[in-house]
Amino acid sequence: MLDSIIQNLFNALQWGSFYSLIALGYTLVYGVLRLINFAHGDIFMVGAYIAYFIAIFLFKGSLSLSGGLTLALVIPLTMILTAMFGVTLERIAYRPLRRKGANRLYVVITALMCGLILENGNLAFLGASRKSFPELIDKVVYNFGMISMTNLKIGVIISSIIVYFILNAIISKTKIGMAMRAISYDKFAIPLMGIPIDTIIVFTFILGSSLAGLAGILFAMSYPILDPFMGAIIGWKAFIAAVVGGIGDIKGAFVGGFLLGIVEILVVAVFPSTFRDLIAFSILLIILVIKPTGLFGVAKSTKI
Amino acid sequence: MLLEIKNLYVKYGNIEALHGISFTVDKGEIVTLIGANGAGKTTTLHAITRVPPPEGSKVSGGDILYNGKSLLNVPAHSIVADYNIALAPEGRHIFGNLTVEENLKLATYSRGAEDESLKKDYERVYALFPKMSERRHQRSETLSGGEQQMLSVSRAIMTSCNFILLDEPSMGLSPLLMYDMFRVLKQLNEEGMTILLIEQNANLALKFAHRGYVLDTGEIVASGTASELLSNPDVKKAYLGG
Repeated sequence: MLDSIIQNLFNALQWGSFYSLIALGYTLVYGVLRLINFAHGDIFMVGAYIAYFIAIFLFKGSLSLSGGLTLALVIPLTMILTAMFGVTLERIAYRPLRRKGANRLYVVITALMCGLILENGNLAFLGASRKSFPELIDKVVYNFGMISMTNLKIGVIISSIIVYFILNAIISKTKIGMAMRAISYDKFAIPLMGIPIDTIIVFTFILGSSLAGLAGILFAMSYPILDPFMGAIIGWKAFIAAVVGGIGDIKGAFVGGFLLGIVEILVVAVFPSTFRDLIAFSILLIILVIKPTGLFGVAKSTKI
Repeated sequence: MLLEIKNLYVKYGNIEALHGISFTVDKGEIVTLIGANGAGKTTTLHAITRVPPPEGSKVSGGDILYNGKSLLNVPAHSIVADYNIALAPEGRHIFGNLTVEENLKLATYSRGAEDESLKKDYERVYALFPKMSERRHQRSETLSGGEQQMLSVSRAIMTSCNFILLDEPSMGLSPLLMYDMFRVLKQLNEEGMTILLIEQNANLALKFAHRGYVLDTGEIVASGTASELLSNPDVKKAYLGG
């Protein structure tokens, strides 16, 4: 019984890691721009595909590097390219609207459309056939009594935890991180501090998109079948995780992601798997009804 | 001439808020713009600092010259970072989710590496406003209204400005704090800071400033030295309570 609980919790942490990494991107962009970047799940998909093409080129191509070396190159390259992709999306889709002072609703709709364009663009140009991600590292299974862990799953969990602590240090200690927190409180005063708002926004997209890229790599390695719509559902769920955690707060997104992972896995452990999303989201709904600002969200107060 | 506003027109959509105002500020001066609510005082300061968001006000005519150079095409952050003009805005606009110290640190964003002048400025601000030093690790939204006003001015100083625009710094302050604030501003001016002050409390502003302009529904209706304005019967009647 205890073994099975620990086993499930371990699996839940691995599954929640993906939600957490993606939810962090949602929450960063929301905190800075008050924009729900609905294309973010698809940036995760783009990240997975970028990782796929780099991995195929380095591993299967004429270079035929070793799996370990390929992975060591895939991680930074994918994160950089996905970050560039996210920044480009901001530049061509969101920034023009912001310059014209468009209502927030139009920006959110634009984000939704961007997501659909990415999914269908991928479908149109790469075809409907699924891509299978090459196995870069040999799977090692560790057994502790009845509990089994793989090196990959452990790697996923550790990566997401490390990423969180790095991100937290950036947000709380650096000037640009301070500016990101400040902008979420009062956008008007940011230029008065001599800070270019666009620089902060670009930096935010770099952070969020590179995390989505990392999630893409880890996901592709864990579930090596890629398709154009892989980011849609997981993106939605990560967004909900960010809201339940308290959107705009990185601790909230991180915990919310794991919470959703744990709830989903534990529901499946008890109920038939068709009940998973029904019960999982009902639980999240109850959390939101009780605390509408999310677990770590606080309602902003202003002093007159 | 440090700042020269030449025949400035500003519009909000189709509504014209400033109908061609002109005034100047010399280096080392304290100049005040007085006027009732809606006269266009804040609009003027926002035009100078280029902060209006896209849906906000737009300069539709005239020019703003600083040391002879037009500011009209300078982005807002560059007004602070490159021209060393700072604004302590109406309503304070402090970053309530950051500590006092973080607010001050953020104001040094464009100043580059930590150096002697930065350290001096922290000491200067903490000396001018001892409360800021006491509360430096406190979240700034927990400060009282008056302390938030001090923080707003402190932040402006930390940008290493030599020209400071103050939008109603007395608002929400108790008489004692108000006296304190203006004592500090006087001291800043004596150390070389040029000040453009907006006030609804005309009496206070004119006692503090060297020169003043009276703004009424987007037009300048009177100007002169502070003592001239204080004794001007029209100004007295409209703004000084008889």
